[in-house]
Amino acid sequence: MVAVKRDDPADAQETTTVRRKRARIPAIFFAVTLLIVLVFLFTMGNRNFISAYNLNTIASYAAILLVVGLGQMNTILIGGIDLSVGGLMSFISVVFVVSLKTIGVWAFPLCIVVALMAGFLNGNILTRIKIPSFIATLGTGGIMTSLALLVSPLPVDAPASTYGLLEIVNGTTLGISHLLLLTLVAFALFYVILKFTTVGRNIYYIGSNIKMSWMSGIDIVGTRNIAFVLSGLGAGIAAIMLSCNQYGGDPTLGKVYILQSIAAVLVGGTALTGGTGGAVNTVIGALILSVMENGMNVVGVDAYFQQSILGLVIIISVALTFDRSKTATIK
Amino acid sequence: MTAKEPVLELRRITKSYPGVVALNAVDFAVYENEIVGLVGENGAGKSTLMKILIGLIQPDEGSYTLRGEPIGFRDPASATRFGVGMVFQDGSLVPNLSIMENLFLCHEMGFRRFGFLSKRAMREAAYSVLAAVKVSSDLDIPIADTTPAVRQMVEIARLLWLSKLYKQKNPILILDEPTTVLTESERETLFSILGEIKSQASIVLISHRLQEIVENSDRIVILKDGKNVTELAAEHVSISSIENMMVGHSFEADRYREDEQVEPGKETVLRVQKLRKRGAFEAIDFSVRRREIVSLVGLVGSGKEAVCRCIAGLDKPDGGSINLGGKKLPAGSPSEAVHSGLGHIPIDRRSEGLALGMTVAENVNLLVLDRLKVAGFISPAREKKNAMRCIEECRIKSPSSSTMCANLSGGNQQKTVIAKWLSSQIQLLVLDHPTRGVDVGAKEEIYKLIRKLAHDGIGMIIMCDTLEEDIGLCSRMLILRDGRLVREINCPPYNKPGPSDIIGSIV
Repeated sequence: MVAVKRDDPADAQETTTVRRKRARIPAIFFAVTLLIVLVFLFTMGNRNFISAYNLNTIASYAAILLVVGLGQMNTILIGGIDLSVGGLMSFISVVFVVSLKTIGVWAFPLCIVVALMAGFLNGNILTRIKIPSFIATLGTGGIMTSLALLVSPLPVDAPASTYGLLEIVNGTTLGISHLLLLTLVAFALFYVILKFTTVGRNIYYIGSNIKMSWMSGIDIVGTRNIAFVLSGLGAGIAAIMLSCNQYGGDPTLGKVYILQSIAAVLVGGTALTGGTGGAVNTVIGALILSVMENGMNVVGVDAYFQQSILGLVIIISVALTFDRSKTATIK
Repeated sequence: MTAKEPVLELRRITKSYPGVVALNAVDFAVYENEIVGLVGENGAGKSTLMKILIGLIQPDEGSYTLRGEPIGFRDPASATRFGVGMVFQDGSLVPNLSIMENLFLCHEMGFRRFGFLSKRAMREAAYSVLAAVKVSSDLDIPIADTTPAVRQMVEIARLLWLSKLYKQKNPILILDEPTTVLTESERETLFSILGEIKSQASIVLISHRLQEIVENSDRIVILKDGKNVTELAAEHVSISSIENMMVGHSFEADRYREDEQVEPGKETVLRVQKLRKRGAFEAIDFSVRRREIVSLVGLVGSGKEAVCRCIAGLDKPDGGSINLGGKKLPAGSPSEAVHSGLGHIPIDRRSEGLALGMTVAENVNLLVLDRLKVAGFISPAREKKNAMRCIEECRIKSPSSSTMCANLSGGNQQKTVIAKWLSSQIQLLVLDHPTRGVDVGAKEEIYKLIRKLAHDGIGMIIMCDTLEEDIGLCSRMLILRDGRLVREINCPPYNKPGPSDIIGSIV
């Protein structure tokens, strides 16, 4: 058999060594650079920005945002979105504190189960009733917000008798706060699921090309359901962490996290169109947003200005990190 | 070749992408009133050159002149103003707008009467514009409800009209693979219309079907690996000499590798009994054995596509049964079909065959993730190893296993799709036009892969682009007409029927 010459492996090698003019810079690089620049600028503005105390403040804010964001990321990766995280967090927060009084430590697993069920419900509205996730979760988010208010119209304080249980989140082990440890565990969980399991890979396949995934026998319904269950899980853990941190439940606690969590995912470089991005991106995204929030207060930016600066940074960072080469229409 | 001044001339155009030089100092000129055929393998740079021609992308180096004046196209809109426009492979019309609205889209200002758009003026103009391309269809039906042939004509008419609007004497129309979506008779109409348009315009024709290039162009420009190979008058060239220049090596006489065609095995892999779908095909019975390549032949509408879609689980048949390896397949479930060992190579690899934004490794490993696991988790090392094996086995021309599929050429994308199925344990593979839109070199490799699959014991159902390809590849041919199986022909190696023996049963 005469070998076809042009497909010689050496030939393929050759093409790669030709002038690498505009080598692609990974999205994550821009996000990390932006983060470093922000830290540098805020430190210039006020030395106290990198004080241990302030870094701790940033870390605890980032921790909560990161955990919601890690969940949210799964729904964005499959090409959907979860707008119900805010309502769910509020609901979990009050249910957690109220049930803490009666069932004690069992409040933790109860709330996780409720969060998983809420995610499963969102997933099924998308996959069985076939309503786009944007609408489905807008609806369920609203329902859960009002359920939270029905459970407790006003913020409730955790009774002092339960402070011992709150140590599960608020305590420290070997000088490291449990909040940080829990966040690391959550990160590891989502990272491993996405990177090393079939479900995680299927999330990428579906986000990248749903028709191909269907034709290749991937369980579309199951995978999409799981993506929303994971989002519920993230929101649930975050709500518990935040409620412990604040020693009380709040029926409006989740509100800010709807858009913040989406922003954290996108700023990190995960595409809204699905299929590209990942857990590490979300970490950087959450850090950028937290540094911004905190830094502007530390250097004394006018409160009325803060929202517009934050908005600008979100636009700039998505412009830098959004990998246009991965969207099918732009080659 | 004419001694005339070219209308449009591109000189020493260079364009590189990371890792590849798509065009390397390419010259290209278009003269008045001619049809230029532009040929080259996939990845030779045809598409890139055309995109530069209409201002969709900008070259790194090089110059263009229009009638001697140096110009530059910032975007397709400015190219339109100079009378240069393109009819795209997959159409660029707005599906939910009517023929008339599409025709004048974004250029309706000339039809203003007292500040409002005059439907009547538009209608009159539309009729006269469409008459030039022999379309006499209702102007108000949405583009989505028209045939590909009509859409193409609307696009051509629109480009001609626009060039008149911008007072360009000799517009340049670029047609990218215009005939892939057309039937035989529509093709003839297209070329007769192009012949007429030639008197007032120049046409750049891109096609993989060299036959139609040779028959219809005045001049042929051949590109290879982003460089000019040669340019010749179309009168005295043979297709095989063009093929040689495109590929750079001679074709083997046995293009379909008949010497590698294997004797089908005894065991039946697929048995289809009384399968029927209303409006598509009537009760059909057939079976496929191990190592057998069964070709389904018939015109569009003969029901062959629907039969394949039902077998692959993509459509639900109205009745009948499909048995794969002795197991009955549930109707209308691609997932069950895949898990029972049925593979399907779709006609549209970009939207149905690949995750374009993911890497070659992630695409080829899709079906075998479970095999690549260590302690329940996907092992990156094993994943890479399997991908490298696939790349080597299927000769996928890719810089690495972590290259994104969107960056591969059409032929290599198709090889990636085949590799995906090859690495899983399939018994039957349905190939829906596996060489559609693929260049000659890659075609040859796909034929080789098909032979290898058969050798490995896989049964296949295939539908090809040309009858010749069907005959060359298959070991048995089933001819369908109007949803019914009309004839079955054995095609043993070196004893194959000719196209003329078969064509009578098809039409």
